[in-house]
Amino acid sequence: MGIHSVGTSDAALVRRVQTGDTGAYADLVARYRDRLGRYALHMLGNREDAEEVLQDAFVRAYRSLARCDDPERFGAWLYGILVNRCRTAGARAARRARRFVHDPAALETAPLAGPDGRAEWDDTVRWALARLPSESREAFLLKHVEELEYEDMARLTGAGISALKMRVKRAREQLQAMLKEAERV
Amino acid sequence: MFDPVDDLIERIARHLRRPVQIDPALDGRVMREITALPTPGGATALGKAWRWLRRPHQLTLTPLGGLAAAAALAVVVFLSRMDRTPSPAPRAESRVFQFVLVAPRATRISLVGDFNDWDATRTPMRRAGSEALWTAVVPLAPGRYHYAFLVDGSRWLADPSAPVARDEDYGAPSSVVTVGAGGGDS
Repeated sequence: MGIHSVGTSDAALVRRVQTGDTGAYADLVARYRDRLGRYALHMLGNREDAEEVLQDAFVRAYRSLARCDDPERFGAWLYGILVNRCRTAGARAARRARRFVHDPAALETAPLAGPDGRAEWDDTVRWALARLPSESREAFLLKHVEELEYEDMARLTGAGISALKMRVKRAREQLQAMLKEAERV
Repeated sequence: MFDPVDDLIERIARHLRRPVQIDPALDGRVMREITALPTPGGATALGKAWRWLRRPHQLTLTPLGGLAAAAALAVVVFLSRMDRTPSPAPRAESRVFQFVLVAPRATRISLVGDFNDWDATRTPMRRAGSEALWTAVVPLAPGRYHYAFLVDGSRWLADPSAPVARDEDYGAPSSVVTVGAGGGDS
């Protein structure tokens, strides 16, 4: 996993929380906030949704801390909860989009920007990422951004390794096509 | 020599790998929310037992044994009713629900779920009337709860008469009940 402990171990903090030291959970939240926030932000595409999902994941993890089989791997376990919360939130957002977006052509003509400047490149990457099917986006982010091994991805997502490899491959191809197109505009 | 495709993908990935700063106020929001919750009960012996149960174990089941297990699970009833039974103390606005399981071969059963921190000691089920019928009464405030039955301290059963929670977060099957603001369940 791309998640590592610093200072007091995760396991020690988890045990303190389990014995009633609720404050120790604040250390875990602070430790994982930005790392998990990055995934949620890229997966959901906007900061408000990402923070809501992140908060929900932390609270769910706390409520279920007794079910964390291996406190040494708290980070990986928490990551799994976040991945699933992002899936649920993503599906909800997709339903909202289907309900309120009545002009698919408007989506197709969303502004494209060339990677000339950093802000434009950022917009372009986010635009392309948002157009990937959620499963492909999830696989691409876990592999290339969070830099997980396929075995870890399989544990987190419940998908088989072959399926994950295929999703990553498709995501790469689609991103390549979209970005090449964007560079030409 | 660089493959131009890999180079482009690497540029995208590098861009997305930049650190992201999430508002630190989120920590406070999380902590405010969890202070209202009970301490997770992982330090108890039963917490350890729960963790043991959640690890994969090989289970050999003969066809006859499978039939017996199926028979034990054939009828599972979930009832919701107003009940004045005071154990344990219900929270404000909660309603009392009765969980019923038919399991003639069981010697002890616990009801475990979000409402009791999955602690097998807190809600033992009791035989009611017939030898096969086990019941437990739990006060539930409006909300959505995952739950399951722990039979003879080792067998983990979802409730086949209730909606199945895919339990995406934790990887184990369980059931789900949603208590509406009016006290009804679904």
